[in-house]
Amino acid sequence: MAKKVKAIITLQIQAGKANPAPPIGPALAQHGVNIMAFCKDYNGRTASRAGEIIPAEITIFQDSSFRFKLKSPPAAILLCKAAGIEKGSGEPNRDKVGTVTRSQVREIAEQKFNDMNAIDIEGAMRQIEGTAKNMGIIVVED
Amino acid sequence: MPDSEDKTHWMQIKIQTDGEIAEALAEVLGRFISDGVVVESLTKFNPHTQENEPTGEVAVSGYLKVDGALETKKQAIEQALWHLSQISPIPQPEYTLVKDQDWMSAWKEHYNPIPLGESLLVLPAWQEPRSGEKRHIIRINPAMAFGTGTHPTTQLCLRLLEKNIQPGTNVIDVGCGSGILSIAALKLGASHVIAVDTDEQSVKSTHENGGLNQVSPSDLEIGKGSVKDILSGRFSCQEAPLVLVNILAPIIIRLFEQGLEKIVQEDGILLLSGILDHQENNVLEAAQNAGFIVMQKLSDADWVSFALRKG
Repeated sequence: MAKKVKAIITLQIQAGKANPAPPIGPALAQHGVNIMAFCKDYNGRTASRAGEIIPAEITIFQDSSFRFKLKSPPAAILLCKAAGIEKGSGEPNRDKVGTVTRSQVREIAEQKFNDMNAIDIEGAMRQIEGTAKNMGIIVVED
Repeated sequence: MPDSEDKTHWMQIKIQTDGEIAEALAEVLGRFISDGVVVESLTKFNPHTQENEPTGEVAVSGYLKVDGALETKKQAIEQALWHLSQISPIPQPEYTLVKDQDWMSAWKEHYNPIPLGESLLVLPAWQEPRSGEKRHIIRINPAMAFGTGTHPTTQLCLRLLEKNIQPGTNVIDVGCGSGILSIAALKLGASHVIAVDTDEQSVKSTHENGGLNQVSPSDLEIGKGSVKDILSGRFSCQEAPLVLVNILAPIIIRLFEQGLEKIVQEDGILLLSGILDHQENNVLEAAQNAGFIVMQKLSDADWVSFALRKG
């Protein structure tokens, strides 16, 4: 019998640096997840990618056992990289901080496709474009 | 509020929204909160499938330390959220004061016993079994990092153990960790188990958990060491019909180089766990070169485990 899912939590955290302090502690403690077991496993798997944000999607079951998968870096981070900027705009409606091309958006959509709930690549691209817009990044034609 | 505010060290900021804007929200929070951001998929119980299913809504949250800079940070976040809301509407963030606590132990209050395989139940040290519990109880103090019963590698190995153990058999457990597999082997009818680990802490934990499960020290022989120490004759026997290795793939391969096959009796069984699916081929190659054939493979998430026969 399949185990019953209690919660699905994605932690966007620094590779190799998981520790029991917030946000990991409170996010997992409420579901009875063994925090040190998660931290040790996550750090072991991500140690070689220090400096990156590697999200972990944790599925927690009713019996407090859990499974986690490493996901591709957040779209926001990939967009910043593609635009050559450090962070999104503080005023995305007024202050545009960078541009990305449609083919860069396609590349990001392809990289993240498996982690997104989009039906096709065009749908995934629309989601990425939405994130770009919300960060003050303009999408231009190639 | 029952507790004094000076105990509160964190302020949770949480925004519940649809999935579309979650990435941008997480990016905004991540700018001001370097420790990380949590995105929780909200679920709703579906009575037809009897499952909790994602609703498509998410809660994005992060934690700010309550200190002199809190108000400034809060204002900066609110300003960034306001600008974001000019493009896509976003609900007001909720703020909750969270008391700092020993997060390493806080999860224990919400921890449940874990039924494993057909006949085992892993119970945390602080809980009592239900009356009439029919499963073999293994008590483990899950404060430790590995071998608590929640990890897929341990669960896979326990399932294989349950299927492959013969009553009265001798067992060797290489890399015993918390001792969970050794204790399970005894509960399932093994007469003698040698449990070794190169880590002092694991040796100590296995002793403690052995005591917690009222296992007789004459049945559970525990020591610091590995394959070569068993082969050197430091323990009561140098081979067994059932050998368990729940470590990690690169270490398993190294153990084959040290003669892992020699501690498995002719026609005996070797259970290997701790292998990520992309490491499977390398481990199997080492096992086959050492004279083993695959009898059974189990997988869970991206982990795989094998029962192998020698000969």
